[in-house]
Amino acid sequence: MSAIIEIKHYSWRYLSQQNFALEDISLEIEEGSFVGIIGPNGSGKTTLALSIDGLIPGHYHGVKKGELYILGKEVEQYETGLLQQTVGMVFSDPESQFTSMTVEDELVFGMENLGLSIPEIRERLEWVTDLVDLGPLLMKPPYEVSGGQKQRVALAAVLAMMPRIMILDEPTSMLDPISRKRVFDVLGKLRADQRNTIIVIEHSLENLVPLTDHMVMLHNGTLLREAETHAFFEDMNTLLEHDAFPPDVMTFTHKLMEAGLYKGPLPLTVEEASRQLHQWLPAVKTSTPSEAEGHQHD
Amino acid sequence: MTEQPFLQVRDLNYSYPDGTQALRGINLTFGLGEMVAFIGQNGSGKTTLSKCLNGLFKPTSGDVIVDGLNTKSTSIVQMVRRVGYVFQNPDHQLFNNNCWDEIAYGPRNIQLPEDDVRERVEEAAHIVGLHESYFTEHPFFLPKGLRQRVAIASILALRPKVIIVDEPTTGQDSKQSIEIMDFLQKLNQELGHTIIIITHDMPIVADYAERVVAIGLGQVIDDGPTAEVFSQPENLARTFIEPRQITQLAHACHDLGFKRGTLKVQEMIDQVNALTA
Repeated sequence: MSAIIEIKHYSWRYLSQQNFALEDISLEIEEGSFVGIIGPNGSGKTTLALSIDGLIPGHYHGVKKGELYILGKEVEQYETGLLQQTVGMVFSDPESQFTSMTVEDELVFGMENLGLSIPEIRERLEWVTDLVDLGPLLMKPPYEVSGGQKQRVALAAVLAMMPRIMILDEPTSMLDPISRKRVFDVLGKLRADQRNTIIVIEHSLENLVPLTDHMVMLHNGTLLREAETHAFFEDMNTLLEHDAFPPDVMTFTHKLMEAGLYKGPLPLTVEEASRQLHQWLPAVKTSTPSEAEGHQHD
Repeated sequence: MTEQPFLQVRDLNYSYPDGTQALRGINLTFGLGEMVAFIGQNGSGKTTLSKCLNGLFKPTSGDVIVDGLNTKSTSIVQMVRRVGYVFQNPDHQLFNNNCWDEIAYGPRNIQLPEDDVRERVEEAAHIVGLHESYFTEHPFFLPKGLRQRVAIASILALRPKVIIVDEPTTGQDSKQSIEIMDFLQKLNQELGHTIIIITHDMPIVADYAERVVAIGLGQVIDDGPTAEVFSQPENLARTFIEPRQITQLAHACHDLGFKRGTLKVQEMIDQVNALTA
């Protein structure tokens, strides 16, 4: 695999601001990988997303240093509008991306701009309507549906364009837990089927973490930590010091490890944690703690 | 207790003008000083119920009685002094050109004399920790956390006993969420306000709420102390809600001796220690 996104010593300062929003970021993202970006508000996550989408520097005034390559080509070398065919972005505020009078038109708009044939548009419309479960909403104005439905429409509109790289900026912030899970299920399917490169910015890590290959943490505009997902959470103290709160089951297992009670991999899901606990706890009960330490889950 | 609860909801039904029935047969009572979370799927009726509680919506049938006043026959001016509602998006609520006018809007609207208005604004700003240097600032140029504080201050200035906060942590990072919730907890514990939060954030519910009202399809599915409600995932599933991960883990490991309705990571660790001792 080769890097589809290469970021080299990249910095950006908005013209209206004193400080750099991003400072000396170097990062490579492999084609087909699923990357989670976390960090407190104001750490530069959205600025990074806008930079990968080419909206920075295209639509914003500011000072840029370093380079950012998509498919081997610097973003500024792309003709206006061409980069966005490769990189699709779902904004955290879905209304900011709506332009049409009905949900259906909203979904079709992007595909028309790509110059797709009518049968192709129809096919993708059906696929995406089904995948994101928007059937009953197609004829409604996108600004009249509920906040959670708006987020699904925004996601579907970008999905329909099948960009090689998709960036989602807090795609589920307005959704209830089950709808949130449904969106992540959709992302999980895409990860398995399409081999898109998917980058998700999220505060809520429970659903995100199990899907990711890689995690990136930004803090005050700098790259604080970047690693393969399991390795990323090994240094949990650094994360906690910077106000990133890992999913409950990881925090729980980490505390057991710190107390010297458990050795083994960090679980990514409740199911994994439950399996580990079912193997580990009965073993500890019937043996001395030192024997139990060596007990690993398979 | 023979005393009447501060807020009573009796057989409340509410239908929107287009005929959509949003609430069906709701019965609830709230005392003073409670810390409550309303949970439920998007569209379940949480926000509609909240708007009935502060009299913004009048029941289609049934009654909402606040402080002895029936919302059907009480003016909004009287209601806003009793039940305040903070919008999910503070930008839907903030419309003045500076923070002072924003916070003063409510007290002026209920026609308090300007001296009282000043006192109320200063008090509310002090409670939310809004420094006076912000008074002349335009609320729109403040970060969201501060905009939310201005929004809460503008409600506090009316000194309502009950404050409903719609999605207080949406769009906030973990640290900001804790700050907002600690602040609401302070209003509850130190000043005795009843706080009702509407939220999808189950860790926040587990950490802060003492009572949970689960709403599904316009009905109350469950109502009780937080640990009790979370110990029955079957009920919660009907509201399309899952408890936080640690509660799910305790549930999945109930056969090992873990307590259903475990709410916090530390509680789980304590149980491990007890089980391995």
